[in-house]
Amino acid sequence: MLKITNVHKKYNDNEVLKGVDINVAKGDVVVILGPSGSGKTTLLRCINFLDHADQGEMEFDEYHLQMHSATADEVRKIRQKTAFVFQNYNLFQNKTVLENVTAGLIIGRNIEKNEAVDLALKALAKVGLSDRVNFYPSQLSGGQQQRVGIARAIAVQPDVILFDEPTSALDPELISEVLGIIKQLAEEGTTMIIVTHEMKFAADVATHVIFMADGNIVEEGRPKDIFQSPKEERTRNFLRRVLPQVEYNI
Amino acid sequence: MDINYQFLIKTFYLVLAAVPTTLNITAVSLLIAMPLAFYLAVIRLRPGKYIQIIISGYITFVRGTPIVLQILIIYSILPSFLNSVAKGFALEVNVFDWNPIIYAYIVFSLNTTALLCEVFRSALASINKGQLEAALCAGMTTVQAYRHIIVPQALVVAMPNICNITVKLIKGTSLAFLMTVKDMTAVAKIAASYGYNYIEAYMDVFAGYVIVCSVVQVAFAFAERHVGKFRFIK
Repeated sequence: MLKITNVHKKYNDNEVLKGVDINVAKGDVVVILGPSGSGKTTLLRCINFLDHADQGEMEFDEYHLQMHSATADEVRKIRQKTAFVFQNYNLFQNKTVLENVTAGLIIGRNIEKNEAVDLALKALAKVGLSDRVNFYPSQLSGGQQQRVGIARAIAVQPDVILFDEPTSALDPELISEVLGIIKQLAEEGTTMIIVTHEMKFAADVATHVIFMADGNIVEEGRPKDIFQSPKEERTRNFLRRVLPQVEYNI
Repeated sequence: MDINYQFLIKTFYLVLAAVPTTLNITAVSLLIAMPLAFYLAVIRLRPGKYIQIIISGYITFVRGTPIVLQILIIYSILPSFLNSVAKGFALEVNVFDWNPIIYAYIVFSLNTTALLCEVFRSALASINKGQLEAALCAGMTTVQAYRHIIVPQALVVAMPNICNITVKLIKGTSLAFLMTVKDMTAVAKIAASYGYNYIEAYMDVFAGYVIVCSVVQVAFAFAERHVGKFRFIK
């Protein structure tokens, strides 16, 4: 469904992506892991052109385009097929919870208001916020805001949802309510690409795990293989540091 | 000190009758300046070296000169300039017959544009970049994102400053008498000149501006609450 090949991206002299390929089939949950600065977020942002790659090819269903020379029209079409969940939610501060979810439908996709409200209410019910539809983002907790962010993403029924560290800004108590919803989406077969530092969650929901370091994909495969028997030294080092180890001798 | 109360009251009505002229100059200047200033502010937030230098040069010029001087320069230079341009194109217009209020519009619009540009620029820059990104991700065009998401939020930030500039503009229009426009100040001065009742006339003008500016400030306070209702709910 979505295939991108040989993505390069430089910020000034700093090469953030050095030729990355990703292949996503319908229903896949691709989790991208890796240390900070490895290019995970940049890769995700290049997929819907929040950052513009310097080189790379994209095949997304019927669209086939060069990522560095995509026209405004192509970019908008790709964005209409995707949804993005931000680390710091980025809810529209001047809109209520309901308007946040309907904005992408009414303004972005010209869907009639009644239909948009129906879709939005369904999405909000799914994330358990039916009782908050008329609140403003500033009146919600971080976890609730991120759940609105997810409702905003699923309401537009995108082909793929991109998650950029959706729980990094949340405290531990609120993380589980957000991860629970993402897990439910995964079980329903929603296609997702998720950048996260939550290892246990990654092992649970992923159908495919990608480990990135220094702008390259070091290793990828089924979660079981990556987490239990990583082939590369770099992956082993990373997992050893981030996974809790039982190292007590009694 | 004797105060001629009869003159005081009579002139006060004259001043009140000239309020529409003052508000007219203010409103027209704002209506011209707002879209221009917004457009310049958007340009200022984008890359592009030469256009930046031109705009910031213009702003520096306006901010760095007294408005009296701007009025005197434009009122003395522009008519002759326009006249020679009209002659050059062989147009049958006599710019010296124009209502002097047109020059008031020009001066105050040029002045207000520069001041508002900076207000809009800072207000737009205060909105988190994530708001634009989220709007684009929701499938909006950049124009839609500005219209529905960025501008409504920036407006709330800009409101107090827009109020400031508006009140300053109202007071600034008192200098329009230099261009023979009959605004509140001019009317009072003319009335006073017949019998040297300047003290009464100035008191009338004083009261007139206090009333007009107070009403405008109250109106802005309401407007601010209205456009910022998402901020004030707690």
